[in-house]
Amino acid sequence: MALIEIAETSKLYGFGDATTLALDEVTLSVERGEFVAVMGPSGSGKTTLLNLIGLLDQPTHGDYKLDGRLVSRLSSNQQAKLRRDYIGFVFQSFNLLPRLNVLDNVSLPLAYKGMPPVRRAKRASDILELVGMRDREYFKPHQLSSGQAQRAAIARALINKPRIIIADEPTGNLDSHDSKVVMELFAEIHRQGNTIMLVTHNPELTRYANRVLYMYDGMIVGDEQTPIGHMARHARRIYFKKPRTTDDDIAAGVSALLKDVPGQEVTAKSQKRKPQGRKRGLKQKVSRGRR
Amino acid sequence: MWSGNLKNALSSLRQSRWRTTFTMLGIIIGVVSVVTIVSLGDGLKRQVTGQISRLGSNVLTVRPGKVDGRHSSLSNLNLYSYLAPSTLTQNDVTSIQNLPSVQTAAPIDFVSNSAQGSDDESGDVFVAGTSPGLWDILHEQAAYGSLFSSDSSTDQQNNIAVVGSDIASKLYRSINPVGESIRINGQSFTIYGVLPPSAGSLLSVTGADLNSSVFIPESAAQSLTNNHSNILQIFAQTRSGSNLDNSVKAIQQAVSTSHNGVNDFTVLKQSDLLAVSDQLVGTVTSFMSGIAAIALVVGGIGIMNIMLVSVSERTREIGIRKAIGATNRQILNQFLVEGLVLTVGGSVIGIGVAMLINFLLRLYSSWRPAVSIPVIILAVGISLAAGILFSIAPALKAARKNPIDALRGE
Repeated sequence: MALIEIAETSKLYGFGDATTLALDEVTLSVERGEFVAVMGPSGSGKTTLLNLIGLLDQPTHGDYKLDGRLVSRLSSNQQAKLRRDYIGFVFQSFNLLPRLNVLDNVSLPLAYKGMPPVRRAKRASDILELVGMRDREYFKPHQLSSGQAQRAAIARALINKPRIIIADEPTGNLDSHDSKVVMELFAEIHRQGNTIMLVTHNPELTRYANRVLYMYDGMIVGDEQTPIGHMARHARRIYFKKPRTTDDDIAAGVSALLKDVPGQEVTAKSQKRKPQGRKRGLKQKVSRGRR
Repeated sequence: MWSGNLKNALSSLRQSRWRTTFTMLGIIIGVVSVVTIVSLGDGLKRQVTGQISRLGSNVLTVRPGKVDGRHSSLSNLNLYSYLAPSTLTQNDVTSIQNLPSVQTAAPIDFVSNSAQGSDDESGDVFVAGTSPGLWDILHEQAAYGSLFSSDSSTDQQNNIAVVGSDIASKLYRSINPVGESIRINGQSFTIYGVLPPSAGSLLSVTGADLNSSVFIPESAAQSLTNNHSNILQIFAQTRSGSNLDNSVKAIQQAVSTSHNGVNDFTVLKQSDLLAVSDQLVGTVTSFMSGIAAIALVVGGIGIMNIMLVSVSERTREIGIRKAIGATNRQILNQFLVEGLVLTVGGSVIGIGVAMLINFLLRLYSSWRPAVSIPVIILAVGISLAAGILFSIAPALKAARKNPIDALRGE
């Protein structure tokens, strides 16, 4: 049984004319121990997908099974407890609480679990040792470098021994050295059997993953297994291929940007794409709503 | 979890010291005014009660004017009777005195509210004519000199006065002005005795202070006012062993007869007096406390306001906390505790300030505020209730935030 099972899940934002389709009937399953990198341009629904998996957000349609349990329709408090016990978050902007020191920040999830202070300080200390931050326990977040802050955030994500670690562009605010340190940390965590979902714009980072998802316009348009240590085949292409509008395109009135949807080619190879009819059906539903 | 919340609340309040201070100030002012006003009222009530009790339960009071339904509620206390000339006369005093069940009767015959000493004139005095029986009734002894008595030797000596301790210090700047002269309505009196200082005791609900009173013999008072006596009240001490209710009836009958059957006076027992004063002080106190309570509520609204600001400022913090697994309840508690720290802190400081004010009042004024435990419990209770009441809306707002929106919001 897969750890994450998402079936035909959609997420719509806004209503009326302003409706946007952030996720378009996505179906996905992730096994235990996978390191999944999610790539795609801005607005392609990467973060929305991860927020749904992380139970920060609820899908508009569709079901989400976490560890075999249907969780998409649970109450907000039950979801909060699942976040606490099953999921660890690492954010681009670290999201440490500025008033608390590193130790308190890291042990906060345990506090919400009701663990007594001494025990949770001990646990937090151990985890900080793991990420090499033991000597910064009593620093406030603003006294840390970005790399240290992100390592503290990873320690916080790990402290409840979560089933999944969700990292939304964890290296987005880091320089290349800190990025490497943080990614090596993720690799180590992965080696210990953890499941990681990582959003990134950096194709180099797909070397750490064993599976890469490509998203475009709210759909998963590519799903590629890749050996660890190798960059995914399509990762670089998506971001670095310059679209060229040929004379034929001009004659046909099509821009290369429109024509050159990165997913098209990938999809053809991976054959994961859903039938066109269904998708149009949903789009029509949405546009009917607009009228 | 609670200790964590408390630690957290303290650190976040310390973060914005000025805001915390000014928010607390609202609650502090509210608590100070409630505690001070209620304890002033309590103190006043205690003073009046003490003074009335000192008379002894066998002392009856006859007042001009009719109080209706005094056995039921005394709510319609006839205050107009104090504006009209007194309906009581010297004859009434004599007829009460002559009743078999009455041991002593003494009038309080208001003469003037000003007296002139050797150095100074004061308008803040209460000059009254009375008979020597008053000292027995009030259980007063002279501090200096002696009090005029009914024996014949002093009767001839009519121009004598007994003054309260405040008069001595105010008009003569000494504690023993015996032998000095005091001028009342142009006539000179010799000070014969000084009363010991009494704890601001009030002679009646009309509010005369024994400490700033000048007593002259009744006959002198009558000659000063050309027999237009204005008797505010008559004290009648019944003989021990006589039935109080029967005495009341006897006095009513006697006075009524000399008034040609018109009941334009009231005979009050000690319990009636207590009821009257209790009610009067109680009404004023509850009215003032009402106003003070409004201050408390305004303080509470200030707390709500600041908490709302604090919740929207910390939207991101709420988002982070929710993302790492805080339930709605845990977020609610966090903000409730913060609001409670504000109110409890404010009310503790407020009680401290109120204590200080009471202490200063006792030192520098004639007020004797009495801070009682129930008052403090009441004030803390009210502010706790206000704290919970006014923190709950902001805390709910925080708890119900959608984690994803909160994380995104700055």
